[in-house]
Amino acid sequence: MATELLEYHNVLLKSLFTEAIIEQQEPVAINQLVSDFDNVTYHISTPEAKSKILVSMYIKSWKDLVKYGAQDIIKREYKDLVTETEQGYDFSLLIDLDKLPNSLEERMKLVADLSLLRRNTMAAPFELAFKKFQAMNKEATQNGLDYYQPSAQDLEIMSIHYRDEESIFIQPNFDRVTVTFGTVFKDETDQVFGKVFLQEFVDARRRAIQNAPQVLYSKQPPLELRELIKKDAGNVGYVTFVLFPAHLTAQRQERCISHIQTFRDYFHYHIKCSKAYVHSRMRFRTDEFLKVLNRAKPENIERERKTASGRRFAAR
Amino acid sequence: MSQSLRPYLNAVRVSLDAALCLDNFASELVERHNYPEVEAGNNPMALLNPMHISRNENERVLIEPSINSVRVSISIKQADEIEQILVRQFTRFLTRRAENFFILRRKPVEGYDISFLITNHHTETMLKHKLVDFIIEFMQEVDKEISEIKLFLNARARLVAEAYLVPFDS
Amino acid sequence: MSLHAPAVVMDNGTGLTKLGFAGNDSPSFVFPTAIATSGGGVSNRRSTMPNYVIGDEAIAKADGSNYALSYPIRHGMIENWDQMERFWESSIFKYLRCEPEDHRFLLTEPPLNAPENREMTAEIMFETFNCAGLYIAVQAVLALAASWTSSKVVGQPLTGTVIDSGDGVTHVIAVAEGYVIGSSIKHIPIAGRDITSFIQGMLRDRGEAETSLRTAERIKQEYCYVSPNIVNEFKRFDQEPDRFKKYVAELANGRSVKVDVGYERFMAPEIFFSPEIATSDYLTPLPEVVDTVVQGSPMDVRKGLYKNIVLSGGSTMFKDFGRRLQRDIKKLVDERIHKSERLTGGKSSGVEVQVISHKRQRNAVWFGGSLLAQTPEFKNYCYTKQDYDEYGPGIVRQFSLFNVN
Repeated sequence: MATELLEYHNVLLKSLFTEAIIEQQEPVAINQLVSDFDNVTYHISTPEAKSKILVSMYIKSWKDLVKYGAQDIIKREYKDLVTETEQGYDFSLLIDLDKLPNSLEERMKLVADLSLLRRNTMAAPFELAFKKFQAMNKEATQNGLDYYQPSAQDLEIMSIHYRDEESIFIQPNFDRVTVTFGTVFKDETDQVFGKVFLQEFVDARRRAIQNAPQVLYSKQPPLELRELIKKDAGNVGYVTFVLFPAHLTAQRQERCISHIQTFRDYFHYHIKCSKAYVHSRMRFRTDEFLKVLNRAKPENIERERKTASGRRFAAR
Repeated sequence: MSQSLRPYLNAVRVSLDAALCLDNFASELVERHNYPEVEAGNNPMALLNPMHISRNENERVLIEPSINSVRVSISIKQADEIEQILVRQFTRFLTRRAENFFILRRKPVEGYDISFLITNHHTETMLKHKLVDFIIEFMQEVDKEISEIKLFLNARARLVAEAYLVPFDS
Repeated sequence: MSLHAPAVVMDNGTGLTKLGFAGNDSPSFVFPTAIATSGGGVSNRRSTMPNYVIGDEAIAKADGSNYALSYPIRHGMIENWDQMERFWESSIFKYLRCEPEDHRFLLTEPPLNAPENREMTAEIMFETFNCAGLYIAVQAVLALAASWTSSKVVGQPLTGTVIDSGDGVTHVIAVAEGYVIGSSIKHIPIAGRDITSFIQGMLRDRGEAETSLRTAERIKQEYCYVSPNIVNEFKRFDQEPDRFKKYVAELANGRSVKVDVGYERFMAPEIFFSPEIATSDYLTPLPEVVDTVVQGSPMDVRKGLYKNIVLSGGSTMFKDFGRRLQRDIKKLVDERIHKSERLTGGKSSGVEVQVISHKRQRNAVWFGGSLLAQTPEFKNYCYTKQDYDEYGPGIVRQFSLFNVN
């Protein structure tokens, strides 16, 4: 993966489980708190025995995600690993290192799945939206596009309050799925830089990547969302991705969900990278200015003067 | 260098050259004190007429001479929001390092982005024409730097946006 | 905030960086403080998107390909701010995967770090990352805090002598009431790397089949210990042949060789106590240095400094290292007391010498940070972005000291 993109999985979960499951190193007692993007906290521990790893996950938007079937997805992905939920967390998985699948492939798959905990949990509303889209799309093609009227229930907007003042809104339709990110800028610089970035997101489709999702950006919430967003925290920008049928095909779906989830963090990560770059330019320029200013200092002002034969001038 | 920039910088250079004619001057109001008269501003006898040099309404220089000190304030071109924020960041970055810059004033004069205070002490220990060179070079380079950063920001934003959108299409 | 957005603890050392979340007993990531850049590197200001990777990946990339490797920290201090900013950026977003706006940060600094460096750090943390809060702690003080978990430590003293021995250098630092006594700091050019190369030297002298640095390092970690007395130890080795061990080294081609492990088991760590066996450049034994450091500190804190000698860093992990150190320092102190008793005819009440070893010694600095940052009071000690915006970077010159109760 190109270095500018963010990984979909959690690096620490991956390395930890690679050691335990694939390399099968001697089990050790673990008790670690790990965080992930979008207000996710994992607690990895071995409360019973060193060979039984308990992973619990807290996610801020759990309540919203449950509404859209997160629990079913966790059941589907992690099957009988799901165990009694640890207090203070939203769900827990128990991995018994003595009862691992035999083949290396299955183990690799297990590690991959475990390191995608956050991604899979967050996938629930997206999957639901995509499913609704498929159903509506099918119905619409059967009935003729011009006459199709999707029901209000199918068009319902799903909102996920994944951060304190920021939410994701997902709306399925028969010919598209729109995903809107509300994102707050904590700092004025961020806001200005953010605008530059978003403009490029908007233009990218027109200029370079014709098949990319359409991106829209506004300072006000889009019309459909006005009712949902009663209180605007100020300094919020709304970024809307319009996913077209081409992005929603069965083989692309999984990738698409993983990828769109990373948008907010990707975006803020790069704003910060740019600020770091600006800093390093300023450091360079400041040093250059200093060099110019230092030229104003007469050189060797303290140099002792001697006569040709090397004798010093005596101080008077 | 564009057409109007050269005369502008020339004017600043000549005016500064004339203004930087400083003398040690003990305060006439407070016994045994010696401070930059332009900063104190309480002795009309020690102050000279300040002058404005401007290229347009955004790019201005204010030179306030006095008998033992000169204050030079520069307003840097800011065409849009991005340039505004960059200028602010940059000037803040510089003033934070004012210690090393001897002649940099920690706070700009109101209405300007950055100010320098040159006293007779500075002209005695440093070469006067090189000081003027520095101010001129500063004015030139700041503009260049700001627009380069802006260009970079746009280029970077483009790459970032494209890098993100490509995977949707593959 | 405390439970679901744990504070981030970052200990950036010359060699290794330790990253993790407060409340954990060990760092989540430990990797070299190294960054590899390509596409012209940082110095090329024209390149719009330089690629860079950090840590182990950086070391791996630096082999051969067009990446340039650099270490932004030299002698504990940050030298290259451009690289460091990028290093932090990757640490936070790629490894810790957290949004810095949600987390407080505890960073460490070496003793006698210039206040300007603190300001630069704050400038980056607040302006680039908008982090929620920042606390910068002195490494030695954190190492002291880490020792509070030991049962030998009564209360939570902020006075003590810290012996911090990593790979490159060993520092002996006296801390009084949470402040480093700058004038008494001593550095010893003997540390982990020297022990490893000493072992390697002994293996080579004996003509062992495998004498790579890696093997020497493994032997150091697995078999070495500190003996009370080397002369007796030699005798014991000769009497009890099972003290000689065999290390099985795996070669790159898949075969394995047996390497005999002999006297180096106790000889290698001995160079702390008898440096003359390894080098002729530096001859002062570690116990003597510790004694000098305490004697160089103000009179009224010396007792506290002798009583609380805390170990930190990987090279202090040898078995019985603390015990030998305590015995040797005690001997020096007692000699001094006897002498003064003889001269003055008075009777001294004695000085207690105690060297504290504990379980978290290896990452003591990081662990101390984790311990402090997990407390509910931590947020009161941090400066926030609002503080920074209002008062400017100068604010970080002063952090109030921690007292966890």
